[in-house]
Amino acid sequence: MTEAAIEIKDLHFSYGRKKVLTGVNLDVPAGSIFGFLGRNGAGKTTLIKTLLGLQKPSAGKGSILGLDCFEHALEVRKRIGYMAEDQQMYGWMRVGQIINWVAGFYPNWDMTFTDELVDILRLSKNTKVKALSKGQNSSLALLLALGHHPELVILDDPTLGLDPIARKDFLRHVIELLQSNNVTVFFSSHLLYEIEPVADHIAILDAGVIRKTGKTENLRDSVRKFLLSPKSEADFSNIGGLLDVMHSGDSVSVTIEDCTDEKRSQLQAHSANGMTETALNLDEIFEAYVIGNKGELLATG
Amino acid sequence: MFIRIEPSSSVPIYRQIADQIRYQIAAGILKEGDKVPSVRELAAQLAVNQNTILKVYNELCRENILKIERGEGTFVSSGRQDIPMDERKEMVAGPLREAAVLAMQLDIPIEQAADLFRKEYDKINSQRTKGQNEGGTKEQTDV
Repeated sequence: MTEAAIEIKDLHFSYGRKKVLTGVNLDVPAGSIFGFLGRNGAGKTTLIKTLLGLQKPSAGKGSILGLDCFEHALEVRKRIGYMAEDQQMYGWMRVGQIINWVAGFYPNWDMTFTDELVDILRLSKNTKVKALSKGQNSSLALLLALGHHPELVILDDPTLGLDPIARKDFLRHVIELLQSNNVTVFFSSHLLYEIEPVADHIAILDAGVIRKTGKTENLRDSVRKFLLSPKSEADFSNIGGLLDVMHSGDSVSVTIEDCTDEKRSQLQAHSANGMTETALNLDEIFEAYVIGNKGELLATG
Repeated sequence: MFIRIEPSSSVPIYRQIADQIRYQIAAGILKEGDKVPSVRELAAQLAVNQNTILKVYNELCRENILKIERGEGTFVSSGRQDIPMDERKEMVAGPLREAAVLAMQLDIPIEQAADLFRKEYDKINSQRTKGQNEGGTKEQTDV
């Protein structure tokens, strides 16, 4: 049941001397919607291209549906769907023509299904691709990724540049067309608030490694920020899950993950008087994981 | 059924949805026997993962607030009278907690803070009874 659709083990990748991925470990459970987060330039697309077998990892390995990504790239491509970041399609083709053209690459293409999808996604076969809106363009790219009934779909920042309404529409399609049919979805984005409602699991990639991975449902109430005036000898480094420590005058703000009462009392013990606890919004949670200092500044400050 | 997900809240999405359904029943907006959207429908409406909605419905079914009738759909199985006073109080306690923190920080003594609450309550209550007298036909409910 908990078999992984994607398995990544200690994957490294460099462009020349520039190290982009420095030991990525990740399991994507079959049937899940998996949100893959990172800032622009964090290496999301690099990881996806490596998974698609377009480039060979410098070290480590990735497998999709039990097959090695690089060794069995062609076999893998037959069984998965892929929507590229800002996918470019031939503008002079009509929607119907591009569907026929892509269908030619797949022996098991289901034309009845894609005809249905044209209706569901409110496209028209006669429209020229260059006349499509951004939202329609991503609907078409989604359709082209689904015509051969893939078991896994990789969407590389599919909602980039969409307005909020088109974005919500796209997410609805992901839920209705993919989750309902038990297709595994690997969805990259740089917006936690976009991914959170649709994803069962998330992972945050930063500086070439996975900083956080887990179930989405408790993300919101697991990260907390505390404001306190520390005792002079206060040392926070032994508190587990430290994400960020910031000094401002006499007070310190401490952000921790997987917040428990035990951690609260540990913090309280370092405080000269009371402390206030605040919950963070999703942007702040993302920020805490990605640019939090994990208390490192404390050592020098 | 109208549900709104608060993007900046620290309350997990499934809890936000479950709380709003409980509240709508306690407030009489959803009535016993009302049909609620299917898991798929509500997931699509809110653009939320179907497992999240499933979790909410399962939890509310265990609490006997919702009931799944095979082949028929999901229905509200309790009325506002079935939501005990304790639970209704707890719904109010959440927002009050924040107000209490604010009052303390701003150095407002308890009696005056309680007065504030009473004033706001009376204001809304007088507006409501006014509205009902003018509306005439609206059903009066005892609290």
